[in-house]
Amino acid sequence: MRQHRRSTRSGILAAVLLVLVSPATLAIDGDDILRQVDRKLNPESYEMYRKLINIEPDGRKKEFVMFSAKKGRDKMIALFLDPPSEKGRATLRLGDNMWLYIPGVGKPLRITSLQSVVGGVFNNADILGLDYSVEYRVEKLEQKPGEYLLDLKARTASVAYDRLIMRVDAQALVPIEIDAYAASGLLIKTLRFKDIKDFGGGLRRPATMETDSPLYKGYKSVMLYAKIKARNFPDEVFTLDYLPRSGELR
Amino acid sequence: MRARILALCTALLSAPALGQDEYRFDVGEFEKKPFELNGYAELRAERFWLDRDAALYQLNFFDSETRSLLNRTTGALELTGLYRAGIATLQATVHGEAMRDELGHEGEAKFYEGYLTLEPATGTRVEAGKRVLRWGKGYAWNPVGFIERPKDPNDPELSREGFVLLAGSYTRSLDGLLKTISITPLVVPTADNLNEDFGTGEHANPAARLSLLAYDTDFDVVVLGTGARSARYGFDFARNLTTNLEVHGEWARVTDAAKPVVSASGIVSTQAGDVSSYLLGLRHLSARDTTTIIEYYYNGAGYTEQEMRDYFTFVHTAYEQFLATSDSTLLTRARSVQTSYLRPTPMRRYLYLRVSQKEPFGILYFTPALTVIANLDDGSTSAAPELAYTGVTNLDLRLRLFFLSGGRLTDFGAKQNNQRLELRLRYFF
Repeated sequence: MRQHRRSTRSGILAAVLLVLVSPATLAIDGDDILRQVDRKLNPESYEMYRKLINIEPDGRKKEFVMFSAKKGRDKMIALFLDPPSEKGRATLRLGDNMWLYIPGVGKPLRITSLQSVVGGVFNNADILGLDYSVEYRVEKLEQKPGEYLLDLKARTASVAYDRLIMRVDAQALVPIEIDAYAASGLLIKTLRFKDIKDFGGGLRRPATMETDSPLYKGYKSVMLYAKIKARNFPDEVFTLDYLPRSGELR
Repeated sequence: MRARILALCTALLSAPALGQDEYRFDVGEFEKKPFELNGYAELRAERFWLDRDAALYQLNFFDSETRSLLNRTTGALELTGLYRAGIATLQATVHGEAMRDELGHEGEAKFYEGYLTLEPATGTRVEAGKRVLRWGKGYAWNPVGFIERPKDPNDPELSREGFVLLAGSYTRSLDGLLKTISITPLVVPTADNLNEDFGTGEHANPAARLSLLAYDTDFDVVVLGTGARSARYGFDFARNLTTNLEVHGEWARVTDAAKPVVSASGIVSTQAGDVSSYLLGLRHLSARDTTTIIEYYYNGAGYTEQEMRDYFTFVHTAYEQFLATSDSTLLTRARSVQTSYLRPTPMRRYLYLRVSQKEPFGILYFTPALTVIANLDDGSTSAAPELAYTGVTNLDLRLRLFFLSGGRLTDFGAKQNNQRLELRLRYFF
């Protein structure tokens, strides 16, 4: 009798285990991976410094330095600190709304997500990009040796790149390479992440992103990251009234 | 030998690391400092092709030798300084210009701004001093720009001088469809030697702006109370209709708006009454990075086509009388009211169109553009093709050529030149 009860119990346990380890349960959630990638790249609310370098085919460089502040899912400011011709130029993003403040103009102007605030391969989406999981959903996930391949589709038409193909390092859970496509299927640019660094506060991520684009043959853009740290800002920082004073945030 | 091979291997192995170091980023260079000084130096060369039959040529050049060309060189320097201490920030902008042409030379320097800001908490601010306020959403015109000097639609982004004022500001961010609310009350006091360009007499000139961000739309309500200027109120809005199309507009009501009117025979009278002005504009970005800005402007305080024709007719009559008698009395009378008639876009209905192409043919930092301002009352136009290049760090280059066209008694046809070439070099530091 006892023997029978034991074997019944074992049978139930085996069945439960079978259910738990079935292929469906083992399936990896692509959106969950994308959310993890976001948190590996930066805290949800943070400040950081970036240098953008546009490199021309003849090797000439033009550099920009900016400070960024982000809060929650969809509030972000990017402020240019250098060169002097761009200093004080600031962009604000609140969800799908974006504004550009140019000191000479003296008031923020509404812009679209595709409007370029500096020349070169980078556009607003690169400068004011939110978390990938906020702007994209995972349509397809492929597992390859040592990496995931995510096929991402923009959640709304207001996102600059309609589709991203993202290669993710399976261990570090940070992007290795992203191909960005327009809705027409045209490859707009390729982003390559390198130079994994410890930024402190548990943040270990690529410190360099290189970009090239078939639309700008021979040109290359590089973004260097520094001093990424979690910081909580008052909501009032992300307003048109505050935008001209965003230099005071630092 | 072994040591050499080892050194070579070490060098090869370390190559990727050196590659990573080719981009240097010392963030310490960009730390916030208590004192900052920035600015630009500008050199502007202009050539005017003068139209000797135009009313404004006759008005401005009747007492100088006849000429068909005028070359002008202008040098400008603008400095902006900022000093931070605790919750206080002191900021000032000084602008100096020196101009020389075949008629002479002149120069002046002005404090465009100089004000103190106290910010005890984020979103709560007090400002006192000379300050530039720019209200409105329009690019070329701002009917609700009640507290600013006139804007030149040919150069809407030029810096301008402010007024001395005392302003407060309170901003709150909210959850829900109303995302932001901001209120800015202020006074622009006028007295002897204080804001005399704003108006005469001793007045507080109270004003306020209420700004909202609701339903993804920017919305402002503005009001200026009676004082040195008559009372006026209005609103503006801006919204993205689609991801690449923005719409904006302004409406303003000015009570007791007064303007001098000159008849064809030279009798000067003053017209006064309540008037409305408005602006409706679109900004579009194409998939090929072509930006188009189009604005329609109705200026209720502007001159009608007949009033403008009368003024130009009077100028021609006065000039003919001067040629016949050497008596410049009538021309002097015409000059006395020219501030109203000759301000940028002084008539009723205008259309502004600007098309700019970012980096065509893959040429980085190069932006060609075309700006057209059309006077819809008399059919005259100003068209200005433009080439801009910002490829050299801190140096902006801009070349523009203006073509003015229209009948003899029209807004643009009566200007003193029918073409103008302008080359501007601006170096930032």
